[in-house]
Amino acid sequence: MAEAATLRDQMSACEERFSTLSRVMTTKADIAQTPKDLVWALNKAKLYRYQPVIDVRRRCRVPLLLVFAVMNRPSILDLRPGNSFVEFMVGRGYDVFLLDWGCPGIEDKLLKFDDYALEYLPRAIRRMKTISGSEEFSMLGWCIGAIITTIYAAMLPDEGLRNLLLLTAPLDFSNRAGLTFAKWVDEKYFDVDKVLAAFGNMPGEMIDYGARALKPVDNYVASYCKLWDNLDDPRVVEAWHAMNTWVTDNIPMAGATYRQLIVDLYRHNLLMKGEWVIGGRVVDLRKLRANLLTVIAQGDHITPPCQSEAILAKVGSVDKELYRIPGGHIGIMAGSNAHKTTWPHIDAWLGARSRSMPE
Amino acid sequence: MSEDAKASGKACDPFEPFREVRDAYLNTLSKAMIDAVNSEDYAEATGAMLDGYLTATKPFREALEKNMLQALAQLSLPSRQEVAALAERFTNIEMRLDDMDAKLDEIVKRLAEGRKAKPEAGSRSGEAGSPAPAGADQPKAATAAGQTRRRAPTPAAKPRR
Repeated sequence: MAEAATLRDQMSACEERFSTLSRVMTTKADIAQTPKDLVWALNKAKLYRYQPVIDVRRRCRVPLLLVFAVMNRPSILDLRPGNSFVEFMVGRGYDVFLLDWGCPGIEDKLLKFDDYALEYLPRAIRRMKTISGSEEFSMLGWCIGAIITTIYAAMLPDEGLRNLLLLTAPLDFSNRAGLTFAKWVDEKYFDVDKVLAAFGNMPGEMIDYGARALKPVDNYVASYCKLWDNLDDPRVVEAWHAMNTWVTDNIPMAGATYRQLIVDLYRHNLLMKGEWVIGGRVVDLRKLRANLLTVIAQGDHITPPCQSEAILAKVGSVDKELYRIPGGHIGIMAGSNAHKTTWPHIDAWLGARSRSMPE
Repeated sequence: MSEDAKASGKACDPFEPFREVRDAYLNTLSKAMIDAVNSEDYAEATGAMLDGYLTATKPFREALEKNMLQALAQLSLPSRQEVAALAERFTNIEMRLDDMDAKLDEIVKRLAEGRKAKPEAGSRSGEAGSPAPAGADQPKAATAAGQTRRRAPTPAAKPRR
């Protein structure tokens, strides 16, 4: 009799596990829930301002603009309540703005880094300044967003940028042996113009495949094994669900931007050579004078550390810091330890440089 | 479900006895695959596959596009390129509106500064109607963002007859 009851309980537990598995594999988690207001839009780009939760007297007066990559949703910065960088920073009293580049359509296939860095970003910043009432601001660029913010900081150094934070920034492409992507997109094997002639924009699915194929077993097998092993642990399941929702929400990359990334950066490393022409002018990194924090993920396989180290020697900033942290490309900001390591460091660095306003 | 059942949930996991073996195998396989995808051979193979796919599908894509264009023209419907060109023009208009918005903001700001400065100047000099500061009626040159480099509309943007 007791054996029958145990067997029944085991069957019930097994059924519950399969039900959980089915739910997380077939539904989308509620992500990006921190309250925000749309304050500006241009084409597909949108600027959001997060609603403050701190009394105005204790709030930081220098606003912070978050700029993520152009081929992923920025919701990774606000993944889920209790594990959201945005929520953390708003709670620490920052006036946080987020620039969402949106999903490019076929009409955007000619958009280049020039457009993102010198057309869209300055306009969003102008709106942010008007709303916040501050002429100075801080900016955080992550991944491709770090390329865009670096271009802006170097080409428009007198527009009020006080602090620049670069997270896992792919800026230096000189170490070709250390870059798997560089091998894949070598002109011997990869005809970028042929791809773009066929698709217009670089399809999100192909970009996603590229990112996952760098660690195929981890991304296609081990990740699901980890989920299976922890199906009884709601914390792991909900974290996996939220991350999977973000990872599978792919968007294409504007064709001309993708071409610049492959030809100008991966193949010719023009930014670091000081030969990259954006908006008709060379991007001169010596003109980047904002306080600079570069965060490197030591286990990053998408942007290996060697891609983010050289920038410090090239910029004109006096106040600059390189911060290394264990973890992967996304894990350092959205992983379970981010709130103990990366976020407090960013807060401490930024807080020391944002709390006081110049007279 | 009872606590006992929860605890025993793992017992019915068919993979439980093999977990350690599985993890060791995946670990080894992972390292081998990372080495494999990081090789020139893999880059060459994937490049060849992609190139082959694009070459093989090109005639079909072109034929489909040509037929679709003809069909849409017959039905007096705009093609994808024409809709895209229209969207580009909308973006250009949005940019011009954004520029004007910035200039208006600047004008309002200057006017407010002028109004604020007038009583202060009046109270200092005793002249109520002192002129506004030079350039107060001139909106400051738009910031870098205002210098729009607009793309010329693509040829497909021409209106069809």
